[in-house]
Amino acid sequence: MTDGDRPARQRSRAGRSPYGFLTMDPSALNAFRRRDAGAVREMYREYGHLVYAVAHRALGQHELAEEAAQQTFVRAWRAADRFDLDRDPASWLATIAKHCALDIYRREARRPTRALSEVSVRDEPVSYVPAETLDAIWHVRRAIDALPDEQAVVVRLQHLDGLTQREIAGKLDLPLGTVKSRSRRAHRALAELLGHLREPIDD
Amino acid sequence: MTDDFGERDLGRRLTPREASDAELLTALLAEPSTWIEPPAGLEDAVVQAIDNATVVAPVATLASPDVRGRHRFRRGGAWLAVAAALVAVAVGVGLSTTRGSEHPDFKGELAATSLVPGAHATADMYKNAAGFRVVLDAHGLPLLPSGEYYQGWLRDAKGALVAIGTFSSSDGRVILWSGVSAKEFPTLSVSIESADGNQASSGRRVLVGVLLPG
Repeated sequence: MTDGDRPARQRSRAGRSPYGFLTMDPSALNAFRRRDAGAVREMYREYGHLVYAVAHRALGQHELAEEAAQQTFVRAWRAADRFDLDRDPASWLATIAKHCALDIYRREARRPTRALSEVSVRDEPVSYVPAETLDAIWHVRRAIDALPDEQAVVVRLQHLDGLTQREIAGKLDLPLGTVKSRSRRAHRALAELLGHLREPIDD
Repeated sequence: MTDDFGERDLGRRLTPREASDAELLTALLAEPSTWIEPPAGLEDAVVQAIDNATVVAPVATLASPDVRGRHRFRRGGAWLAVAAALVAVAVGVGLSTTRGSEHPDFKGELAATSLVPGAHATADMYKNAAGFRVVLDAHGLPLLPSGEYYQGWLRDAKGALVAIGTFSSSDGRVILWSGVSAKEFPTLSVSIESADGNQASSGRRVLVGVLLPG
């Protein structure tokens, strides 16, 4: 992965989140609240990846995660007029995403088995994931989003890909010292942002 | 690994709670779900799903019998109401003859796969003397080119497939017929097939769901 692999997202944020970065522009939120169709894409581009991350962690399968993400935004759309503009929309969507994922999990759990031809090699079996774990995934993903891209890529390579800092330096064609300093700054920021890691998402 | 989260910076050993949090964070950072990005088609699928939900809502409102009744009297007087009632009775008789029962024996929602991300459907299965009638209310499936068609399938837990009918577009309800019950064949899917003489499923599924007792 390179810095360019991290998708650019619209940064139309105007309010402060607990993570220290700005959240979605209030005028765009207002438009969503009024069910202005044009606001759907803006909402998705801001929070779709967070919703999908939670859904995927809960359900372990791409198709089910896509279904849960769709249902999350439809439910949010239907309840948009009741959305409190003073709330963090990310937390609101996280709560809806958890409920949608749980509904799909219950539905899938009623199925005794899956046919072998329906199982993708990329998929993991659907198993129960505690709500606390989903909250934690949500918090971590948001904190990662708050990191500068050049720090996030180092954290990803270090933890997800399991590379050493020397290997990361080689992969990114950077001096080892640069990788070390980026890693140190990133981890310090994550530790500060995630002091509330075990706290549930505000329902 | 806890060194990554400030032990050196703090200049002291982490408390048990801090060390535990650091271990949890390290584990979460190693989770693929933490870093996963949604598929490219999901944004369009979300927009389409909301469009569909928006379209459905006014129809449901119009279908309310109370609202229909009030409008009818305002517009045309009592004779129109009588005529409408007669039509309603006639339609009701027709529906009851066709459906066999008011409540489905099995029902389910079908979700889109990445082949046609904006599609969605609901399905009701009714048992009668002939077999099982499946009412598929599908939306968002595009019209297929000549030589291709949609095919419904029921699948059991061992993967055995039973074809339940074909259709060419999805602007509303499609009636399919099955000789097997959703009790043994609970998974309903719709695939794109080619008219090439091959009766096996192409595997190009566009909708998938599970029928549960209604």
